[in-house]
Amino acid sequence: MSDMQTQTGEPLLRIEGLTKFFPVSGGKRLFAVNKVTLEVGKGETLGIVGESGCGKSSMGRTILKVYEPNEGKIVFDGKDITKLSRKKMLPYRKRMQMIFQDPYASLNPRLTVGDIIEEPMTIHKIGTPASRKAKVQELIGVVGLKPDHIRRFPHEFSGGQRQRIGIARTLALEPDFIVCDEPISALDVSIQAQVINLLERIQKERGLSYLFIAHDLEMVHHISHKIGVMYLGHLVEYGDADEIYKRPKHPYTQALISASPVADPKSAREKHRIILEGEVPSPLDPPPGCPFSGRCPHVRDECRQILPDMYDYAGRKVACLQYSPKAQGITLQ
Amino acid sequence: MTETELTRKLLPEEKNDEFIAIESETFLQAAWRKFRGNKRALIGMVVLIFVVLAALFGPFLCPFSYETQLPEKNAPMSLLHFFGTDKFGRDIFVRILYGARISLSVGFVAAIINLIFGTLYGGIAGYVGGKLDILMMRLVDIIYSVPPTLYVVLIMLMFGPSVTSVMIGISISSWMGMAQIVRSNVMSLKEQEFTMAAFVLGAGDSRILIKHLLVNTMGPIIVTVTLMVPQAIFTEAWLSFLGVGISAPMASWGTLAQDARSLIEVYPMQTVFPMLAICITIFAFNFVGEGLGTALDPKQKH
Repeated sequence: MSDMQTQTGEPLLRIEGLTKFFPVSGGKRLFAVNKVTLEVGKGETLGIVGESGCGKSSMGRTILKVYEPNEGKIVFDGKDITKLSRKKMLPYRKRMQMIFQDPYASLNPRLTVGDIIEEPMTIHKIGTPASRKAKVQELIGVVGLKPDHIRRFPHEFSGGQRQRIGIARTLALEPDFIVCDEPISALDVSIQAQVINLLERIQKERGLSYLFIAHDLEMVHHISHKIGVMYLGHLVEYGDADEIYKRPKHPYTQALISASPVADPKSAREKHRIILEGEVPSPLDPPPGCPFSGRCPHVRDECRQILPDMYDYAGRKVACLQYSPKAQGITLQ
Repeated sequence: MTETELTRKLLPEEKNDEFIAIESETFLQAAWRKFRGNKRALIGMVVLIFVVLAALFGPFLCPFSYETQLPEKNAPMSLLHFFGTDKFGRDIFVRILYGARISLSVGFVAAIINLIFGTLYGGIAGYVGGKLDILMMRLVDIIYSVPPTLYVVLIMLMFGPSVTSVMIGISISSWMGMAQIVRSNVMSLKEQEFTMAAFVLGAGDSRILIKHLLVNTMGPIIVTVTLMVPQAIFTEAWLSFLGVGISAPMASWGTLAQDARSLIEVYPMQTVFPMLAICITIFAFNFVGEGLGTALDPKQKH
């Protein structure tokens, strides 16, 4: 895992202060993604965790410009793509792709598997019809399906197989970066392992970068080099995967990790669970100050007034006032 | 959980023994299999094929033309005149065969215009959405608010009474249903992940609309078209019966029924035959439409 962590120079993807809001009735705005800044290096996996509705998927979609970002910058391979038109975006579409959550909804039921995998190459006018067919054959093999599956329709496959068809379609364009939007959450546990292994193998072979969105912390820890934790549209903790998993600093991350089940009953008994009070506030009506202030066990008065920045602390970035330079008593030199 | 435990959990490598036992079926093959199992639909289809063939080739096999006036008027059914003759001595059977041509072509042309126009209109409104959708759908509401007969009568006044006028009139007043069906289907399909997948892959609007959205609306579209044919035939027959449709010497089934109306007390069969033709054809179309509806619905297996 750590052999891929070494990276040099400009990251493959950098987003700065990325914000996406949706107008809702009554003139209000729903901030799905709120000033998120992060990077994904070449050959690296960044795992994004957070509970449902925290804006993980919206962030992935905004990065791929399915949703137009409202503020902030998306820089891919050194080029600012935030404002690119749909047409100018085409060459980047070849390099930035997506694997979807629901393998039942993400494949057009009226197309054969072969047509589905070939379509991206047709759209981008890659190769001749014959070479495209050969490529489809190759990709079917890469994802572990059989050549005679090409003429079949998506409904004839199981969830795991469908997810692999989706992966083959994504790989047809030979992208450098893939947003994996909860690719395993709709699958059985045994199938999850297959798909994860496949994704890891492809990454090793092709040096791909992933933005891996999930809510299973265990799985994200396993596959990721870095982890970002999101809460109510904000990135609250971001840094090395092992560090965050073993020594979480943000109270929300701590609660999230304490809630993940442990297989060993002995250590499970010893484990201290942090039970959060209350509900996730509505993103339409977030609390002033820190978004987590309403449920935080360590909440202080200032938390309800000041929105924390991402502070550097213990080798990561944390958006919590207890780690602010002031709270740490660090004075600027 | 330690690293080793996790690896163990993940180890079972993908086994390559997956195979699918059932024969691969395309969408249309599956639809045909389901359609075949439906007796009523099958009977409807056989009747329709018979009616269409009779309309196309029947008149060539008959010794009389539809306007030939024979000496024997109001003749009863016989081997020479299957359905007898009317008050001018014209063979009713031959006139019904010719009437089938007119009635069916009005039905098919109206259905095809509806298919093309309604699908595009509804597809664009549903796909683009927003203000354009609101505007387009309000226009549909306005067209709906005028009774369909009025369109036909107005067009007849403008272009004169002809088959074409009837076709245009019926088409104008009946494409909105198709547009609404296509629009609502497209609206729900465009929220599906495969549409987003096509967008992320870089597909253009026309590709997404046709290849991903409309192709998946094929079932409802085919059913609507099939049911639009009898509806148009019925409208035409009814207009002709009222006397605003197709006029002499050409005859649709509606005109034939209208012609015979004055003699209904003396020679009732002259009215009954054209009406039977209308009934049988409309029933057949409805059975086929209903069968297609079940056959093309992917949720219904048998």
